[in-house]
Amino acid sequence: MNDWFFERLKSFGEDKALVYPTASGERVASYRDLLEAKERFGAELGQRGIGAGDVVAVEGAFTLSATALILALIEAQAVALPMVREMRAQRDACLGVAEAEWLFEFDEEDNRTVTDLRPVHRTNKTLEKLRERKSPGLVIFSSGSTGQPKGILHDFAQILKKFEKVRQKKVTLCFLLFDHIGGVDTLLSTLTSGGTLVTVARRDPATVVETIERHRVHTLPTSPTFLNLLLISGLVEKHDLSSLRVIAYGTEPMPAGTLARLHATFPEVALVQTYGMSEVGVLRSRSKDSNSPWIEFSQEGFQVDVRDGILWVKAETAMLGYLNAPDLFDEDGWLNTQDAVEVDGPYFRILGRKTDLINVGGQKVYPTEVEGCLLEMPNVRDVSVFGKPNPMTGQMVAARFNLIEPEPLAEFKVRMFAFCRSRLAAYQIPRAVEIITEDQFGARFKKSRREH
Amino acid sequence: MDANTAEQIVLRAVQSVFDQIGEPLPENLSAESVLVGPDAIIDSLGVVSLIVEIEQIVEAEHGVSVILANDKAMSAKNSPFRTVGVLAAHVIATIEEAKAA
Repeated sequence: MNDWFFERLKSFGEDKALVYPTASGERVASYRDLLEAKERFGAELGQRGIGAGDVVAVEGAFTLSATALILALIEAQAVALPMVREMRAQRDACLGVAEAEWLFEFDEEDNRTVTDLRPVHRTNKTLEKLRERKSPGLVIFSSGSTGQPKGILHDFAQILKKFEKVRQKKVTLCFLLFDHIGGVDTLLSTLTSGGTLVTVARRDPATVVETIERHRVHTLPTSPTFLNLLLISGLVEKHDLSSLRVIAYGTEPMPAGTLARLHATFPEVALVQTYGMSEVGVLRSRSKDSNSPWIEFSQEGFQVDVRDGILWVKAETAMLGYLNAPDLFDEDGWLNTQDAVEVDGPYFRILGRKTDLINVGGQKVYPTEVEGCLLEMPNVRDVSVFGKPNPMTGQMVAARFNLIEPEPLAEFKVRMFAFCRSRLAAYQIPRAVEIITEDQFGARFKKSRREH
Repeated sequence: MDANTAEQIVLRAVQSVFDQIGEPLPENLSAESVLVGPDAIIDSLGVVSLIVEIEQIVEAEHGVSVILANDKAMSAKNSPFRTVGVLAAHVIATIEEAKAA
């Protein structure tokens, strides 16, 4: 069923597949290396009795061994659960929810430790559904929400199908992590086109620009939060980034000002918005133009509908279901994305998560819209906007800032109001304002919008 | 906290709110100045800002963390935000409650 996939990888021979950091320095793996390692893991899985439908957790990164193991699990029709060290606090909970039977941990030298977690009592109905299909599986845990992590089960064969068509070969800097649907998507789209996936030890602007220059990177998929930091860093001008052809951004809405500055800084680079969710995979989309927040979805087997301003999707790549939560699908298989959108003909503009929406006395405020304005203020490095309960207006808008240079709060507030007065409605202007020094994004460079 | 200190806090917060909205402070600002209702010197969002300001001053200068717009305050028959003077009394009462808790 996935023969084309392995045949394709084989055809790329000695081409560079992966460039990745280890504790002892950067390493390069060719397609041949990758497939040989996959064969070795295939034999090992066989010896251990790991086969179709078995759940195997893989903690690591886009290194030769960890990536080869994922490929071996696809081939064995097992269920892969990619994990990262950064999320270790949640590891046991995730292993439990996924009913993982084996854990392969890869350290910073790409050496592994194997733990047999059996016996595991198989009770999960969603996993049973996959086993009946005789398909390989992929488990992704949803990030960002509070409480128990939600396990999302995909049919790996469905995800692979999207990449059957041959696409242009590219060197891609993979910014998203190994356990993220976008990370898996970037890996597969790179490997199926014979490109090179480059990962970095530290995902800061300095390391990223240096890596783009050194490896002549073509594609940078990342988040608006990181792009904003990159623009502020002043490092873009100091490096030769002429190899860049595409900057893809997703995971959160792009502030208009950041997009305009990005376009001015990289006039030759196509700026492409992607839309993805752990539940439906990453969907192919086209931006109206590089300077536009409007996108058109262009993926086969994928339909969209807007109900009460909320985007609903029906996709072949959608998950089989949650492992530990009620289904989000309606009876016809449509899934509520909980993303508020505006529609203009075939184009959509993502406004933000419905759950992030702030209601000020009945007026709707989208945090990203306010953040987009505040980021344009002089001396602002980063800001996150969120709602705070307020009995007078239900909620009020609160903002937490990181400044470039220290500034007294009272003066800053006066300046902020003066700046916002002509740009935002009164109800959108933050009333509770805080200045902090620690960063407001996690390992995923996605903004955290909540009260401390 | 005495009545005069509380009133000064409220008046300073009113000053900050007018600085923020960029309008001149009304003349004859006093304990009788109306904050809520038809003759109010600020709108309801201004009151939201004012309360945040007062809470921050109280926390920064008196080391007490208070929530002035709590449910009890909102459901009171006579709003504790009516005038500068009434709000000052509410600040004192809320601080006392917070200290007793």
